Amino acid sequence: VTNLKEEIMALLKRKQLMALAVASVFQFASLPFTSIASAEEKITLTFANTGFAEGTTREGIQKVVDDFEAANPNIEIKMEAISFSEIARQMILRVRSGNPPDIAELDGNDLILVAQTGGLAPLGDLIPPGVMNNFAPGALEGLSVDGKLIGVPWNTGTAGLWYNKKILAAAGLDPNAPPKTIVELMAALKAIKKSAPDVIPLGIDTTNRPFALTVNWPWMRTFGAMPTGENATGGDSPEMKAYLSWMRDLAQNHYIDPGRKIGEFRPLAAQDKVAFMWDQILLQGVIQGANGMSDKAFYDNWGVASMPAGPSGKPYTFEGGEQLAIFADSKHKEAAGKFVQYLITDPKVIEYYTIKLLASLPPLKDMGDPELKAALDTPVFNAFAEKIAPTLAPQPYGPKYAGAATAIMAGVQEAVTSNEPIDDIAAGIQEQLGRL
Amino acid sequence: MSSGGIDQTAEPPPSDIPTLAPINTRQVPWIHWMIVPTVLVLIIVVGYPIGRSLFLSTQQYNLVDVQPPRYVGLKNFADLASDRIFWQSLKNTAIYSFGGVAAAAILGLFLALITENLRGFGSRSLRTVLILPWAMPGVVAAFLFRYMYLQDGGIVNKVLLSLRVIAHPVPWLNSAMISLPAVMVASIWTLTPFFFLLLSAGLSGIPNEVIESARVDRTGTIAMIYHIKLPYLRNHLLIGGLLMVIASFNDFGSIWAMTQGGPGYATSTLVIYIYRIAFEQFQFGYASATGVIWLLLLLGFTMIYVRTLRSE
Repeated sequence: VTNLKEEIMALLKRKQLMALAVASVFQFASLPFTSIASAEEKITLTFANTGFAEGTTREGIQKVVDDFEAANPNIEIKMEAISFSEIARQMILRVRSGNPPDIAELDGNDLILVAQTGGLAPLGDLIPPGVMNNFAPGALEGLSVDGKLIGVPWNTGTAGLWYNKKILAAAGLDPNAPPKTIVELMAALKAIKKSAPDVIPLGIDTTNRPFALTVNWPWMRTFGAMPTGENATGGDSPEMKAYLSWMRDLAQNHYIDPGRKIGEFRPLAAQDKVAFMWDQILLQGVIQGANGMSDKAFYDNWGVASMPAGPSGKPYTFEGGEQLAIFADSKHKEAAGKFVQYLITDPKVIEYYTIKLLASLPPLKDMGDPELKAALDTPVFNAFAEKIAPTLAPQPYGPKYAGAATAIMAGVQEAVTSNEPIDDIAAGIQEQLGRL
Repeated sequence: MSSGGIDQTAEPPPSDIPTLAPINTRQVPWIHWMIVPTVLVLIIVVGYPIGRSLFLSTQQYNLVDVQPPRYVGLKNFADLASDRIFWQSLKNTAIYSFGGVAAAAILGLFLALITENLRGFGSRSLRTVLILPWAMPGVVAAFLFRYMYLQDGGIVNKVLLSLRVIAHPVPWLNSAMISLPAVMVASIWTLTPFFFLLLSAGLSGIPNEVIESARVDRTGTIAMIYHIKLPYLRNHLLIGGLLMVIASFNDFGSIWAMTQGGPGYATSTLVIYIYRIAFEQFQFGYASATGVIWLLLLLGFTMIYVRTLRSE
């Protein structure tokens, strides 16, 4: 009996050991499944943006994303750096190839172009009503296609006429009274050219790309020209010819440096080599980033005003800020909406990235933080908010905008770099616009 | 005088030397099937894109339009015929390709002739320096020239101003009149070493007997170049020229980096125009029609090239 007991006990022990071994095996075997399950819970969002592609904003946007990931450990943001001039092209091709990112930072006509492909998700249900109702008046204007909101503003990039007070004073001009009309502007440019021949009197983008038409559109409008769009008066209207003739005057008197992108004038402006700049609100950040100027020194040296009015008697401006869009193919639209909401409304992002780094205005009515309101009380922000923003001229964005831009800006380039009669150039623009 | 070419009267090898028997492909039909994989690969990687382009050239197809492509027959080609930008781009392409290659060939010939008799370390160093531009990527060279051509601060204007050749800085890349020649200079700078190398090799292949007998006849330098050396270099120039014309015809990166086809359409070539239509306006149908014309022109050059090779 004793032997039998011992044998049974030994068997039980062996069985326990076996059971223990089997349980251990299952436990170890289940470990990878457990980690896979937790990995599956983590969402990866791809964010195509231009900020990560540019040296001045790369670290800033990375910090913003790092903070978001720390606060949302189940969401990982994969950054895709794409240059400003490439992002629309890449997004359209990727939508057509079936591999778009989850979120993209787009600008002006780029947003509308990508939306035309049907690749963007309507944002009405993805952004909470509290955020939607907090956008500044007019901030959502032009961001809908077929009645659906396809982008929300991240920051504003309105343009104004920046003037270098030091150069104006050296030319015998009042440094606190920028020109209010085209006639006054021409007189000021003449004085500056005479006083400082090495200074570029007016920095304006005359490249051949869609953004250059956006930049030049307000100048065309102040001459009464509207070469393309719904109520277009054509590329060969008397107003358009007047604008082209004025551009030729600027070039022939060496008041502008044709062919440069607006970004190529900015480092020169930081070295006091450009007197007037037709540029966006972000210029302050670029100049201070380049030369380390303090806020006070910047406001002492630079001022900004609305565009000098042309024959129409009205000044205009353009909006070049960035919008955020979520793609229809995204499998994590809710998480994408959360990230978009964070970028637009988080006080730290607004303070650190939008205001300090981009030197841009947030698109919100109420930022929920009194300190942020105080940070926006500067001569530059006030000038943009009170005097320049109300002069915004809507742009004729749409599928034909890029083609129209090529035709119009090629004509502008011909006007500023050749002696071909303005009538012929205008007729050429109209002929090309007619082919679209 | 020796012809200097291949000896046509060379005797056949002696019969005791073992040689490979020629394969009679008629008796081994499987040999034809050996090329099937290559043909299949060619059909996929060459044939499909060409076929697709031909198909798209008959369609009204905008990539940003949600509407599907629509068949329009030859309308895109008819539109091209009346498109002045297409004709200007074609003209610019011809000037850029033929003009640039001709100038580079003349410069390359000149350099090959003056360095022909140089010997020693100095000669090798000089030749290395002369072929450096050929080793430089075209886009890098284009950016170098872009910065050298800057109206304010560019080295070209600085040198010419200091030498008092010009009174004011010249907008090299921003003048409708001179931007195309300015872009061509960059292309010539890149192409010249190719001709220098090719023609140096050609000159070294001229039999010494020919040169010596011409010298005995007291042939002058100009006559020696014109009547003796150039005939030997004819095929080198023709084949090298055709190859470089094809390369210049396809040159996108250099022009895009310098001018993007501007100002206006002053430096717009066919490839630049196709890029603008396809990737700025997203009109893939119209861009494909332009691409088909471009392809036909290239095909013409390629046929001339192949015929020249055969006749040689």
